[in-house]
Amino acid sequence: MTKNNGSLEEETVDILVVGAGASGGAATAWLSEAGFKVKCLEQGYWQDPSKYASASQDYEFEMMTNWAPDPNMRQRDEDYPINDSESPVTPVMFNGVGGSTILWTAHTPRFHPSDFRVKTLDGVADDWPVTYDELEEFYDLNDEVMGCSGINGDPANPPRSPRQMPPLPLGTDGKKLISGFEKLGWHWWPSDSYINSQRYGEGRDACNFCGHNHMGCYQRAKSSTDLTYWPRALRSGAEIETGARVRRITTDDSGRATGADYVDSKGNERHQSARAVIMAANGIGTPRLLLNSASDTHPEGLGNSTGLVGKNLMFHPFAMISGTFPEKMKTWQGPLGNIAFSQEFYETDKSRGFVRGYTYQFHRSLGPAWIAKGGFRDPVPWGKDHHDVLEKRLGSVMAMAVIGEDLPEHHNTVDLDPELTDSNGIPAPRIRYTLSKNSRDQLDHAIENAKKALEAAGASDIFVDPMMRQSGWHLMGTARMGDDPAESVVDKWGQSHDVDNLFIVDGSVFVTSAAVNPTPTIQALALRTADYIVTSRQDLKG
Amino acid sequence: MTTNAQRSSVDDELLIAILDRLIPAVDDLPSAGQMGLTSEIVRLAARQARFNNVFENAIDSFSSENPKFTSSNGDQQDDAIRSFESVSPELFGALLSIAYIVYYKDSRVHVRIGWEGRTPQPDGNDMEPWDESVLETVRKRKPFWRSVD
Repeated sequence: MTKNNGSLEEETVDILVVGAGASGGAATAWLSEAGFKVKCLEQGYWQDPSKYASASQDYEFEMMTNWAPDPNMRQRDEDYPINDSESPVTPVMFNGVGGSTILWTAHTPRFHPSDFRVKTLDGVADDWPVTYDELEEFYDLNDEVMGCSGINGDPANPPRSPRQMPPLPLGTDGKKLISGFEKLGWHWWPSDSYINSQRYGEGRDACNFCGHNHMGCYQRAKSSTDLTYWPRALRSGAEIETGARVRRITTDDSGRATGADYVDSKGNERHQSARAVIMAANGIGTPRLLLNSASDTHPEGLGNSTGLVGKNLMFHPFAMISGTFPEKMKTWQGPLGNIAFSQEFYETDKSRGFVRGYTYQFHRSLGPAWIAKGGFRDPVPWGKDHHDVLEKRLGSVMAMAVIGEDLPEHHNTVDLDPELTDSNGIPAPRIRYTLSKNSRDQLDHAIENAKKALEAAGASDIFVDPMMRQSGWHLMGTARMGDDPAESVVDKWGQSHDVDNLFIVDGSVFVTSAAVNPTPTIQALALRTADYIVTSRQDLKG
Repeated sequence: MTTNAQRSSVDDELLIAILDRLIPAVDDLPSAGQMGLTSEIVRLAARQARFNNVFENAIDSFSSENPKFTSSNGDQQDDAIRSFESVSPELFGALLSIAYIVYYKDSRVHVRIGWEGRTPQPDGNDMEPWDESVLETVRKRKPFWRSVD
């Protein structure tokens, strides 16, 4: 079918999902299994795990180029550029079926109950319109599909359902780092990870500890939605079109969403009509598309009557503190960031001089080229000292990442760059971000305590990166949820206050960021929104 | 495969001289420039257009700022590299990164540092299995997450 404007028209679907990553995969599977006719448009492509670069002789080069997490460095055809010149943090992501779960570390802690109540408890930001208790069943459902390795009994977190698999091994290196926390009497706990410690899921092996699943998991042991949710979605009739780059969400005269204009993989202009649209394009991609969808009925952008679309961008600014141990511990064996974590300083203690808190995520280090280039610290010096320093660091460097709670601020934004476009001429996003004093104080506190922990464990030559630039994995807050339509973009179900058939299920809806990796929470919220559509929006089914 | 077109834009003699200063001789290994790594550096850089542009810019920029580099003595060469590192950190970073990557993928280097040298996959690594006894101390701690009730 051809529309009046010459673009090709597809058959109307019930739900159009934009983005096939963590949240898009979860929502699509849930809805298609409930009988909705769902189609997903994904600008990237399917990945073949057997072709991941960890089996290539050139893997070290690929890690910083064609498989780099920063789209501005990767520059694949399916990536869009991001103007990050006004941000000390570079957004990182992956565009493809599975989205950023292709390259993530799959470190999967949950929010704490207090994270949903920061206004009430600490007088900052806003409370969420959702509680931990309301989300818990969806956390559990998501764990079951993604497969969680971990163990109950953590004193820093509420009791919860058993994980599907035991924890990943700690390794000699992990135990060494943990010894510092034990000496100080500080909390630690083995990581929750969506990485198989034993066979689990469809055709997914146990981890073989190659250390490079952050370039895509060759072993299919790391959970990514192309391996978990998408097979289920496709079996239940969902459709996915890859290489499909959405230009704008379209609306009718009343302002309701009618589908999307997009460019297909062959460069044809197309339109997909739908009874409802779900945005799942991440905390940068979603506001970008909503702002690109301005129309007569939505002059400031779709769903943006409040002007809050693109505002309140939150990252988790990362500090990284590394130390060198006298022992050789084969630190390249095992997932890079999935040893253990500490939440000793997670909950607010105002005597520290800041509100909210932080998590330590324990990290290994990799092989000689990675070490020489610096890894999580400064490069090994060139010249006469090179060989001695390399020898000291190889197999001996361990690091602690600080994930601090970033609070929402209006001036941290995603908007449309006035000049930059993607390869289809679609305006690209621009990021403007500054670190708040509270976040800086958190990071400084964490840095001092990390030094103590590393020294207690026996490390020396401690190096501090006070804020890693290439650390913007967690993209949150740019279309926040809330009960008040004047202060939020979507309601507690992820439904736009302005457009009743527009939903958002990615990290954009976060009210606050907590101090943990956000993906299990993103996916739990996506499942909850999908469940709401199933139970309360049967009107969207054709 | 390396093409002549790829090779032509990089001055081999200059690259060899830079490599010699970045990674000097050690034990029975010669300095990096004498190990015949330049063709692999050029091949690898060409695997991505963005990186290749940065790399070639680095060589061109260094060359234009240091026209007598190859005939300078070691201390003068080190000074020139340090100056380039300070003035053009991004370009220098690309040069240093690819030098390190290619050096540490060389089997002669693997032998010297005791590195197995295989790719991370498909064989992976072995680890001791999970042992729950490590939790003995931390399990004794009372829950300290903050209740919202």
